[in-house]
Amino acid sequence: MSTLFLRDRWFEDLPVGEFHVFGSHTFSELEIVEFAEAFDPRPQSTDPVQARRNHRQGLVASPWLITAKWMRKMVDYMEVYAHGVNDGRRNGAGVAINNLEWLEPVRPGHTVTYTYEIIAKPDRVIREKWGLIRSRNEAFNQYSNKVMQFEIDILAERRPNRSNDI
Amino acid sequence: MTTSFTPSGHLNSEPLTLDKNAIVAFASRFDPQPYHLDSEAAEQSIFGGLCASGWHIAALATRLVSETLLQNGHPFVEMISVSQLRWSQPIFVNEQISVRIALDASLSESPIPGTRAQSLQVDVCNGEGAEVAKMSATVAISAESVLEARP
Repeated sequence: MSTLFLRDRWFEDLPVGEFHVFGSHTFSELEIVEFAEAFDPRPQSTDPVQARRNHRQGLVASPWLITAKWMRKMVDYMEVYAHGVNDGRRNGAGVAINNLEWLEPVRPGHTVTYTYEIIAKPDRVIREKWGLIRSRNEAFNQYSNKVMQFEIDILAERRPNRSNDI
Repeated sequence: MTTSFTPSGHLNSEPLTLDKNAIVAFASRFDPQPYHLDSEAAEQSIFGGLCASGWHIAALATRLVSETLLQNGHPFVEMISVSQLRWSQPIFVNEQISVRIALDASLSESPIPGTRAQSLQVDVCNGEGAEVAKMSATVAISAESVLEARP
């Protein structure tokens, strides 16, 4: 019971500078093609043969697959280290992204590692219940080259039963 | 040159409907949080109902942007960066999304060979025309279109 799980914490308990590695994922050719066909059908991501002749000289993941996997890694991380997301009542939501860049292509077989660091807690209260946690998120391939980065503002629930300081 | 520029200089996409299967299929693979998976849990959540993952909306908006640019003589190649992305309203089951694109005048060098970088503002709207998300993006457009446009 003494372990401090993230989910036991409130907005007030999350310190700037906190850093996590959400984990790594190795992208397969199949998932690159399936994602692109369903959500972002570009030839460089749907057709391994045609992709050899195009500007990327080979199949590359959709930029949105790289961010979608970030999301999945974050949810999985919360499941393991933060008592899961169970009924979801306390799950906040992302409201804004800044400076999202894809810096290098991710190809089949590449392993991408996702990191997260809290960089600010903007002074805003949303619907009385939520504060904002701003994090810098980065993704690195197996050569330690950065392939993606962005900042995101995510709602985090403020500690309830605050003394009547309205 | 192009026919579907509105007088204000915007390009508009066709609408696309997000049904429950589509919302859950994306979320179960990439964003398995209760408010994207389970109608009852979603009612108790911050959104108040089952709604699409913001990343699903971003990917589909990009799909609509690429199709619309292609139809208007701008061969979209790839998304380069997104300086701002704001999600302002959830998209619930069976709601529609469409995009309204404004092309910025300035062109810049693209990191992708054979392309030019085009900045654009994208408003993602629901079926009632209300803005649900907003994106400032830079995309790579095939350089060939520039040559073709010259007399």
